Amino acid sequence: MAVQGIWNGTVSFSLVAIPVRMVTAVEQGRVSFRMLHSTDHSPLERRMFCPREERMVPPDEIIRGFELGPDQYVTITDEELESVTPERSRTIEILEFVDRKELDPVYFEHPYYLVPSKGGEKAYQLLVEVMHRTNKAGIAKFVLAEREHLVAVVSRDNALELITLHYRSEVLPGDDFAPRKTALESDVESRIRKSVKKMKRDFDPGKYANERRTRIMELLMLKAKDQTPVEAPVPRDDEGEGPADLVAALEESMKKVKAGR
Amino acid sequence: MNRTFVEMNGRRLPLTNLEKDLYPSPGFTKAGILDYYRGIAPFMLPHLRDRAATFKRYPEGVEQDSFFEKRCPSHRPSWVKTAEVVHGDAEPMTVCLINDLETLIWAENLASLELHVPLARAASPRTPDSVVFDLDPGEGAGIPECSRVALILRDLLSGMGLMSWVKTSGKKGLHVFVPLNRSEATFEDTKLFSKAAAEIMQKHYPDLVTVKMAKRERVAKVFINWSQNDASKTMICVYSLRARERPYVSFPLEWPELENAVGQDPAQLQVIQSEAVRRAERMGDLFQDVLMKEQKLPHL
Repeated sequence: MAVQGIWNGTVSFSLVAIPVRMVTAVEQGRVSFRMLHSTDHSPLERRMFCPREERMVPPDEIIRGFELGPDQYVTITDEELESVTPERSRTIEILEFVDRKELDPVYFEHPYYLVPSKGGEKAYQLLVEVMHRTNKAGIAKFVLAEREHLVAVVSRDNALELITLHYRSEVLPGDDFAPRKTALESDVESRIRKSVKKMKRDFDPGKYANERRTRIMELLMLKAKDQTPVEAPVPRDDEGEGPADLVAALEESMKKVKAGR
Repeated sequence: MNRTFVEMNGRRLPLTNLEKDLYPSPGFTKAGILDYYRGIAPFMLPHLRDRAATFKRYPEGVEQDSFFEKRCPSHRPSWVKTAEVVHGDAEPMTVCLINDLETLIWAENLASLELHVPLARAASPRTPDSVVFDLDPGEGAGIPECSRVALILRDLLSGMGLMSWVKTSGKKGLHVFVPLNRSEATFEDTKLFSKAAAEIMQKHYPDLVTVKMAKRERVAKVFINWSQNDASKTMICVYSLRARERPYVSFPLEWPELENAVGQDPAQLQVIQSEAVRRAERMGDLFQDVLMKEQKLPHL
């Protein structure tokens, strides 16, 4: 499968190092649209606007500021940001293995697949197999796109899956939102228990489709078939031939070209 | 941030993140990129000279986001030469002129993998030095089709008494240059000429050539983009790297190379960075005449 990797490197633990590339495991389900000018269908751009001066601000006049309070900022340069950015890592170093059931899904951020690179297939298979049998997840730290991530490496469908995890500080504790405990009436509880049991199925995400997306895509395909798509204007592509002399000379030359071929 | 200093022509230049893999797939680092530009500089600098350079920067490498920088960054060293240019009714803009090795290396340290230049020099922005035909194969077409179109175009032009030179775009296309190097040249004329020539090509080779920009018009055909002949447009500079999976270069070819290539493996026309320096050192600058040859467009 020729999916472009977003990262190349090795997965390693103790003395094993497996060359891999990383590809995303999920695609965005959202249908995206371009904003067009209604009068001539030119694609529109976003520009930065200064409301005080009422003008567009060119990129070299734009800097970053961190908001301390109303109208109060500390500014920071690209160089300063870069100086605190961790170096891109070449290895996903597994620090420990944990039981898979201990991994709380609330920590899951984004899933990726690790694909073995040349020479790594065998060790890769072994690791997949062992992790599958023991039902373990490898925990590692690594830097992707300037951010240091805590990640879990697990086996899934005979492949290695990498899930970036939220940090502890990012996850809000659920008990903040739980109601105060009160005594529950036993007959109500057993009624609920029964209906849960009745509704019990195996989890099958294939049953559920993103219906809005399906409907939008159907509508778009229908429209694309029925109407000629509108086109953005081609800059200065005015019709009409060039000066008569030039066109005649080109035709003359073209005649010779074709005769010579 | 890792930082090393180099000294060039008495100027001390900080180089950063040299070990960063800007082409992750072959593992080609920023150090490799700087090394390439240093090696190719004797051949490339004449083509950059006195032109408003547009940097296409890839700070996180070719697999991540890039951005165009037309304005010369305000954090530039004091010795970087600049010019003021005006486009349309916009405010004047300060641009970088890459006239020497140290400016080139400084630009590359900013991960400006691709360097794009206009067809005119900054001091005479309304005077194009060349007419350019940007041959861009649509879906289902490639370098073989492009080569055929370039060769027909060469013959068409030579029948008009005009010599032309060709380079790879470093991507899928080819760029055919007709040098003018005359102070009377205008973009109005080069546009008129290139459009008429492209339309004749389309008229006689409708299955091979299109002048329509729309993607679906281009399927299995070569789009001749004549509208590049404009003061506001830039082209990838000859010898610039391209941001693809591997470090291919926009590289000048000899016409016989194209003749031999028609119907053959298109990959052989792609020139990678290491080969580019070797070939330039052996053959010299095949694009030298594009800067020197004086020609006049007929019937205008």
